[in-house]
Amino acid sequence: MDIKSIIFVILALIFAPVAGGFLAGIDRRLTAWCQGRFGPPILQPFYDVFKLLGKDRQVVNTWQIFCAHIYLISSMLSLALFAMQSDLLMIFFVMTIGAVFMVIGALSTPSPYSQIGAQRELIQMLTYEPLLVIVFVGIYFVTGSFKISDIVAYDRPIFLILPLLYLVLTFALTIKLRKSPFDISACHHGHQEIVRGVLTEYSGPYLAILEIAHWYDIVLILAICSLFWTTSAIGMFFLLAITYLAEIVIDNITPRLTWKWMLTYVWAVGITLSLFNMALLYAKSF
Amino acid sequence: MVSQMVWVSIVLPFLAAIGCLIDSKPLRSILVVGTGVAVSLASLLLVQGQAFSLNPETIFGIPADGLIAVLDFALLFVILGISYQLKNKLIAVLTVLQIIPLAFLELFLHGAENTAPSIYGDQLSMIMSLIISIIGSLICIYGLSYMEEHEHHLHVEKSRQGRFFFFMVLFLGAMNGLVFANNLLWLYFFWEVTTLCSFMLIKHDGTDIAVANATRALWMNMLGGVAFILGLVILRAKGLPLALQELISTPGVASLALLPVGLLCFAGFTKSAQVPFQSWLCGAMVAPTPVSALLHSSTMVKAGVYLVIRLAPAFAGTLFSHYVALFGAFTFLTTALLAISQSNGKKILAYSTISNLGMIIACAGINTPAAMAAAILLIVFHAISKGLMFLCVGTIEQRIGSRDIEDMRGLIRIMPRTAMIAVIGMVTMFLPPFGALLSKWMAVEASARLPLVVLMLAIGSAFTMVFWGRWLGLVMTSVMGEAQEPEEQSPLVRVPLVILAAAAIVVSFVAPGLYSAMVLPVLERFYSTDLYIAAQGVFINNIGMFAVFPIFLVMVLGVAWAARASSGKRVHQRAYSTPYVAGLQDPANPQRIGFKGPLGQWANFTTSNYYMDAWIGEGRISGWINLISSGILIILLTGVL
Amino acid sequence: MGFFTKLLETSRVKSPWIVHFDCGSCNGCDIEILACLTPIYDVERFGILNIGNPKHADILIVSGTVNHRNAKVLRNVYDQMPEPRAVIAIGACGTSGGIFREAYNVVGGVDKVIPVDVYVPGCPAKPEAIIDGVVLALGKLKEQRTAKDTDSLAAELHQAREFYANRADRQVVE
Repeated sequence: MDIKSIIFVILALIFAPVAGGFLAGIDRRLTAWCQGRFGPPILQPFYDVFKLLGKDRQVVNTWQIFCAHIYLISSMLSLALFAMQSDLLMIFFVMTIGAVFMVIGALSTPSPYSQIGAQRELIQMLTYEPLLVIVFVGIYFVTGSFKISDIVAYDRPIFLILPLLYLVLTFALTIKLRKSPFDISACHHGHQEIVRGVLTEYSGPYLAILEIAHWYDIVLILAICSLFWTTSAIGMFFLLAITYLAEIVIDNITPRLTWKWMLTYVWAVGITLSLFNMALLYAKSF
Repeated sequence: MVSQMVWVSIVLPFLAAIGCLIDSKPLRSILVVGTGVAVSLASLLLVQGQAFSLNPETIFGIPADGLIAVLDFALLFVILGISYQLKNKLIAVLTVLQIIPLAFLELFLHGAENTAPSIYGDQLSMIMSLIISIIGSLICIYGLSYMEEHEHHLHVEKSRQGRFFFFMVLFLGAMNGLVFANNLLWLYFFWEVTTLCSFMLIKHDGTDIAVANATRALWMNMLGGVAFILGLVILRAKGLPLALQELISTPGVASLALLPVGLLCFAGFTKSAQVPFQSWLCGAMVAPTPVSALLHSSTMVKAGVYLVIRLAPAFAGTLFSHYVALFGAFTFLTTALLAISQSNGKKILAYSTISNLGMIIACAGINTPAAMAAAILLIVFHAISKGLMFLCVGTIEQRIGSRDIEDMRGLIRIMPRTAMIAVIGMVTMFLPPFGALLSKWMAVEASARLPLVVLMLAIGSAFTMVFWGRWLGLVMTSVMGEAQEPEEQSPLVRVPLVILAAAAIVVSFVAPGLYSAMVLPVLERFYSTDLYIAAQGVFINNIGMFAVFPIFLVMVLGVAWAARASSGKRVHQRAYSTPYVAGLQDPANPQRIGFKGPLGQWANFTTSNYYMDAWIGEGRISGWINLISSGILIILLTGVL
Repeated sequence: MGFFTKLLETSRVKSPWIVHFDCGSCNGCDIEILACLTPIYDVERFGILNIGNPKHADILIVSGTVNHRNAKVLRNVYDQMPEPRAVIAIGACGTSGGIFREAYNVVGGVDKVIPVDVYVPGCPAKPEAIIDGVVLALGKLKEQRTAKDTDSLAAELHQAREFYANRADRQVVE
């Protein structure tokens, strides 16, 4: 590890939550605009988080505090590992630690709201995890490596070779961003629904910690998306911008459905698309 | 020196087992603890040395091969007697089907003279021996206290512990024999001894269900035995050596001996309870918990995967190998799915065990150096964590009187120490940077060129996360302000739990060293390219890397930080609040979880996990799983004909 | 005033999350509260979110008269809100008990159970008035410190709460 990558890691850790917060702000503004409203200021997510950090602490048990901190640590670690250009699959597994601990924290309180939220969150994780692994395997098929340093060095945009797998990745992105139609465990916009599911019992500073960790996660997933167009900065920017705009549009035009529907739909479509893309690859290589 | 140590590992338990039959509690305790310490030391001393081979001509003055042959027949006739006692024709037929080929083999077939050493130990055998000797002994020691409590609970009039420990200790010797045997006839003998031990221990409690499940375990394992002996007969008939090392290092063996190798693998599948044979392992959960921990999770079922891993170089690069990978991955996927539908803690552990064994078999089928490394490492990490989890569940069951995970809600309040140890056990089973996940990572990367296998591994590993994650959460459910009760435990229970929990963490931490010292030498004999290199705590090969030490370091710091932030001292009493139940809680009594319903009546609410019984219940999908897996097995076996 | 204190105060004013509790209102006021969220009034402009969970909220908006049955629930919901927090009573019923004031089952206005910071009159209260009430409450929120900041303040708050709960003439009958 040289000095350059250390600086890169530090920069990533500092700027990722800033970027995540801005993205969330733009997201809220655009959503309001879609609904014919004016919307909050772009900096609104930061106000929210600072306010929450300044609130009194309130917990049901100390496990919640523990779990919230572990979530933050694992999200930061996985982003740092990404910045160090290490193994994609390893980063994914490190990210799982945080997601699992958030669920554990919610399950550790006997409130029925947070219990239901936690169960649904587990199903959401069950839904997106295999898809992410499949996407990474697809990337490996093309570049011959799971290491980000090798993937970045690949001389063509992977998006052009794996367009369908990119679609599969956006499924995972939608679930991770808590966007409709896959926002069944805790919705980012419907604040009154199962009184925010998995987040029910986290309050004040701990809710803020979860929010910051969530920003790290968003940035990480978008960074993974950006691997699909590494050859030019403009291409990468447009790919990410279009993806995020599409997410917002989908969020606004789709209703929320049940977890059964989510699981069967996402797996059926996701696995079919990936197998189809793989078949195309095979066909080309012959 | 080496030969003495091997004798201590194999013969000493056989002798000590006979001593255990004497009905004297202090003597039995001394024998069990003493044997445990002796075999553990022997296995540790063996690890110091290099690979070795021994060829004992005689045992106690009797020709060794002849003695084993006689014991083989004696054992089979014992099982025939058992089948008569059980009035079970199937077992009788399967036993006769072994006696006849064995007699044919011993009396009429004299192919190539067996010049190979009967005993061979390399690092793989040593790893297995370490697991058997150390984890096995710890479980036996735990069993001393557990069985007291168990018999007290069942109101057994005449103690049957003598018999119990006879088979437990005997089993240690048999397993050590199994992993050190090079002569396949010796291996077959020890194989059958473990089958018999398993049968006797499952039916130990003598209830109807115990006998029924033990019978099922026996016939399924005997089916494997038939395949084993048939494999040996065919090997001998083709003039191939009946010795493991010679068999796998013979060039061109894949084309010549694929059928017998396939039959031996089939025997391995039955022993490791792969689908469609998973039902015997689930049924075996009626046995006392030390049995489940020793035989049915950390050691005996590993004999099957050990054999498949040993034979893997013999079928490298064949279509058979691909099908083995597919078969293992299918087991991994389906049993993980079945585990989600269970609320019985021991059954979850059983299915999770089969699932992990399936992954090991899939790795053996993938047959690349990375996959083989994953398989061997997973054997180690799974044995430690799963043994620990079984002991935890046993301890919990004796305290709360249930093995249902729904009843373990809030366990952290009732048994804080055991619950914490269980939490360590679960976390080491499925989260990074611990070893089980490290092996899973290796397996997924190694299988990346086989789309169907990697798909099944990806989905299966997500299932794994679901059932561990929610169990973890349940254990921790609590409302603050409640005083934690102090927990009393006998040192015979506490010490094995603490040692295993520490081992689960420490061995994961030293995984890179373990790999370089123990796994790499085994792999280098058969594979030359794409090996993982473990340097400075980072696993690295040409397609991926896993930074064990850095992740460990950050997570240790993170856990310390989180533990500091959440320590009771730093959270003011004022910060505690009741769970949110729409304002209906009783603030005077936050422990009472419920609400005041109509007419001022207090109503408790209950929450439960999603078990999705209507979708993936055991009765609903087991039939389909058995059908599909039988299909794969038939293709597998007809392919090698 | 340090930078962080200032940042915190700005954030508190810019991000008031409200939880709405209906104490048996006739729904007149409830509809007006919800009207604030519609594109015409769009309170999210000010960072106001209608949060369903008191544990996440800063401002409790109560509409309707308090009766003996829901007084306890109101109190419980209020107790689960972490400091700093403010309470707004909406409408004639919320402020004083309204036309139900003398009914046999009615305790009275919201302030008989929990301390109220802002009273918004009207039957029903107009959305503009409600938004105005929230802005007034923000002023109070800004001045408050969390219990963590000063223990003496926490004691004071505690005292005030006890005072409200135990006033003889406003005792809630179980």
